[in-house]
Amino acid sequence: MEIMYLMIFLSLLMAIGFLFAFIWFIRSGQQDDLITPGMRILNEDKKTNN
Amino acid sequence: MEQLVQSPQTNTKCYHCGETFADEIVHFQEKDFCCQGCKNVYELLQDHELGTYYTCDVNPGISPSLQNFDYLNKPAFRDKLIQFSNQDISKVSFNLPSIHCRSCLYLLENLHKLDSGIVKTQLNFGKKELSVWFREQEISLGALASLLAKVGYEPLLSEESEGNEKKKRLSQQTQLFIKLGVAGFCAGNIMLFSFPEYLGIEDGNLKYLFGYLNLILGSIALFYSGSDYFKNIWAHIKLKKITIEMPILLGVLVGYSRSVYEILSHTGAGYMDSVSGLLFFLLIGKWFQQKSFDFLSFERKYTSYFPLVITKIMQGKEEMAPLSEIQVGDRLRIRNEEIIPADAILIKGKSNMDYSFVTGESEWVAIQSGNLIYAGGKHHGEMIEIEVKKDLQQSHLTQLWEQQAFKDPSFKAENWENFANQVGIYFTIGLITLATIVALYWIQVDPSKWQNSVVSILVIACPCALAISYPFALGHGVRWLSKSNLYVKDIQALERMGQVDTVVFDKTGTLTLAKSEAPNVYLHRDLSENELDILYSLSLQSTHPLSRRLCTYTQSFGDRKLLSISSFKEVPGKGLEARWKELHIKIGSAKFLGINPNVSPQDFFSSESQLFIQIGDDALGYLDFPWENREGVEFMLRKLQHHYDVFLVSGDKTNHAASLKDWFATEDHMKFECSPMEKMDFIKQLQAEGKKVMMVGDGLNDAGALQQAHVGIAVSDDHLHFTPASDAILQGRSLSRLPEFLNFSKKAITLIKMSFLLSLVYNTIGLSFAVQGNLSPLVAAILMPVNSISMLIIATWGMNIYGKRLKTN
Repeated sequence: MEIMYLMIFLSLLMAIGFLFAFIWFIRSGQQDDLITPGMRILNEDKKTNN
Repeated sequence: MEQLVQSPQTNTKCYHCGETFADEIVHFQEKDFCCQGCKNVYELLQDHELGTYYTCDVNPGISPSLQNFDYLNKPAFRDKLIQFSNQDISKVSFNLPSIHCRSCLYLLENLHKLDSGIVKTQLNFGKKELSVWFREQEISLGALASLLAKVGYEPLLSEESEGNEKKKRLSQQTQLFIKLGVAGFCAGNIMLFSFPEYLGIEDGNLKYLFGYLNLILGSIALFYSGSDYFKNIWAHIKLKKITIEMPILLGVLVGYSRSVYEILSHTGAGYMDSVSGLLFFLLIGKWFQQKSFDFLSFERKYTSYFPLVITKIMQGKEEMAPLSEIQVGDRLRIRNEEIIPADAILIKGKSNMDYSFVTGESEWVAIQSGNLIYAGGKHHGEMIEIEVKKDLQQSHLTQLWEQQAFKDPSFKAENWENFANQVGIYFTIGLITLATIVALYWIQVDPSKWQNSVVSILVIACPCALAISYPFALGHGVRWLSKSNLYVKDIQALERMGQVDTVVFDKTGTLTLAKSEAPNVYLHRDLSENELDILYSLSLQSTHPLSRRLCTYTQSFGDRKLLSISSFKEVPGKGLEARWKELHIKIGSAKFLGINPNVSPQDFFSSESQLFIQIGDDALGYLDFPWENREGVEFMLRKLQHHYDVFLVSGDKTNHAASLKDWFATEDHMKFECSPMEKMDFIKQLQAEGKKVMMVGDGLNDAGALQQAHVGIAVSDDHLHFTPASDAILQGRSLSRLPEFLNFSKKAITLIKMSFLLSLVYNTIGLSFAVQGNLSPLVAAILMPVNSISMLIIATWGMNIYGKRLKTN
C-alpha cells in the first residue's frame, strides 16, 4: 500500500497543475474577448516590407 | 496627382465612407470622395500601403474629425488615461464607438504603420476598445488621439469614474471565475479522498492522511472561495441587518467546524465534501445569476427605449431620423418645448433652456448661439438649430429617465422587492430558531444526527428563489413589452402596472388622432402668400399637434419661406403669439385671442380642434381640423371595461360628451374642461378612494397627471416630447393593445407569486426530511441551487411563453 502515498501525491500534483493552468487562463484574459481573434484571422498579413 | 472639384452627381457614394454626396465631390485617383477629410484618409492609407482597408468591406471608412486632442497632454488628463508607463513605452486604452467592421480591425491593428511612435495596437471588438502601446517621446497622447480622430475613429473619452468601475467589474468577474475554479478543484479532490470512507475501506494511516488533506482543501474552499460571503455578511452585521445568505453561511460554518473537530480528534471523516460542494454550487448559481443580469441589462440599453424621432437637417432639408441615429456633427431642429437629445452647440436662434429635469432648478437659462447646451434641457422659444457635440450614450438624457427622483418615494415602498427583503428577515429568524430547536432535540435523542439535520435545514431552506423570480420575470417582461412598442422604464414600473385597477385616458392626441385631411376653413378671406409664410414660420416653433397640422396646411399651398419672427411665446393649452416686423400674430383658442365665442358657428364644442388666427388687428376666423379616433380605440375601451374602471379626462368642452358616451360607463366617468392641474387633482381624488390609477396621456399637457398616477404612460407618435415623469412610453399605433399589455403585466405578477408558492412547497418538503436528519447536507447542497435554477427557468420560460403570445397577437 506504500505506493498509494506516491500516487496520491502525484494525482494531487497533477490536479494542482491543472488548477494553476486554469487560473493562468482566466488571468491572462483569454476569455475576455471572444470576438476579435476570430475576425483577426481573416485579415491577411500583407508581405512585410522589411 | 490631379484633383478637381466637380458638380454633384447622382447615385454615387464616397469611396471612403459611403456617404451620399452633399455639395461637392472631391475627385482623386479615379475615386470619388465626399469631402477633403475622407480623401486625406485615403491618401494617408495609400501612402502607408494600407489599401487592404478598402477590400475588407465596402466603403468602410468614417468621415474623419479634426478635433484637437492636445488638451490630453496636460498631466491632469494624461495621468488618468495612461494605464502603464515606463521610460520607454506607455499603454493607453481608448473607447472607439465608431468601430463597426473587419476593416476597422485591419486599420487599427496596423496603426503602427502610420506612426513610428506606435509600437503595437490591440483591438477588443466586442467592447470597442483599442489598447495602444506607444513611445511618448515620439508621439504624445494628444497627437495619438488626434491621429485616431483623423482616420475616422474619434476616441470617446468617458468620464474616469465610469472607466474605473468597468475595470473593477471585470476583475470581479475574473475573481469569481477563479474562486469557482478553486472551489470545484477542492470539492472534486475532497470527494476523491473520501472514496475510502464512502466504500467503508478501513486503513488507519491512509484515513488520517486523507482527513488532513481534506481539511486543507476544505479550508481553502471555505476561506478563499467563500470569502465574498463572509465579507457580505460581516458588512450586514455591522449595519445590524440580516440577509438571506446568513443561514447558508451558518450551515456551512457548522459543517466545517464539526468536520475540523472530527478530523483532528480522529473521531470521523467530517463533511468537507459537503462544505466544499455546497460552496461550489453556490458560486455556480452566483455566476449564472450574474450572467443573466448582464444579459438583461444589455437588453435594457437606452436605444431600445427611445424609438422616437428627431428632426435632422440633411442637405438643407428636414428629415426625420430615429433618435439612435444621432451622430456627432448632426444638425438638428428643435422646436418649442422639445427636449435636447444630446449635448450640443446652439447654432441658430436664441433659447430659454429649462434644465429643471436635469438640475431641478426651474429658472430658465437664456442661451445665445455659439454656446453649449446640455441634453435633457427643454427648449422654450423660437425654433433653434443645434449641432450635436456628443454621442447619445455620453449624454445624460438616458440616465435622467432612469432617475428615480421624479417619483414619489412612497410608490417604491410597496413593491415586491421590499416584500422579498421583509419576508427574508422573518424567514431567516424563523429558520435559525427552527435549526436550534431541532439541534437541541437531536442532541437529546440521537447525538449523531444533529449536525446533519442542522446543516441540511439551513442549506435547503435558502430563500434565494425570492431574490431570483422577481427580477428575472419582470426583466423579461420589460424586454417583451419593448418588442411590442411599449417601453417600460424599469421592472418596478411593470410591477405597478400589474396592480392597476383604474385607467384614465386623455382624449386629444391619445384616443384621437389628427386626420390627415385638409381642415375646414372658416376664414373671412383668403390668406396671402406672405401670411402663409408667417403662419408657417410661427407654427414650426411649436410641437402642439394643431401647430404641426397648421404647418402642414400652409405647406399644401407650395414651398414656404422661413421668416425670422420674434418675441415668440407659447401659452400651454391656449395658443402661440409672436411678432413679424410690425405685425402681431396670434393663433390659438378663441379665448386666447379674446374673441367672443358667440360669433362662431354653433359647432363650437371641440375647442381642441379649432385654431383661431389673428394677424395684426384682423381676426381672420378659424380653421377646424378634423380629428379621428385612433384605430381600435372603441374596442379597446370596451375590452378594458370588463376588468377596469375606465375614465376620461379632457380639456374639451362638455358638449363633446355625446359622441363619447357609448365608450364610457356613465357620464361620471367623463370629465371635461380640465386644465393640466385639474387632471392631476382628478387622479389624486381617485387615489384617495384607494384606487390604483394608470394615466394614459400624451405626455405634454398631462405631465402632472402622469407623474401623480400609479403608472403613467405617455403615448407618442413621432416627436421627442416624452416627459421623464412617465413610467412608460407607448407608441400610438399600439394603443389599441393596451388591454393585452395590462393582462401581460398581471400574468407576470401571477407567475412570480406561483414560483414563490412552488419554492415554499419545495422548502417544506425539503425541511421535513432535514428535520428528521434523513437528508445528507450534500444532497441539500445540490438541491438548493437546483431550486434556484428552477425558479429562474420558470421565470424565463413562463415570461417567454407569455411574451411570444403577446407578440403574435
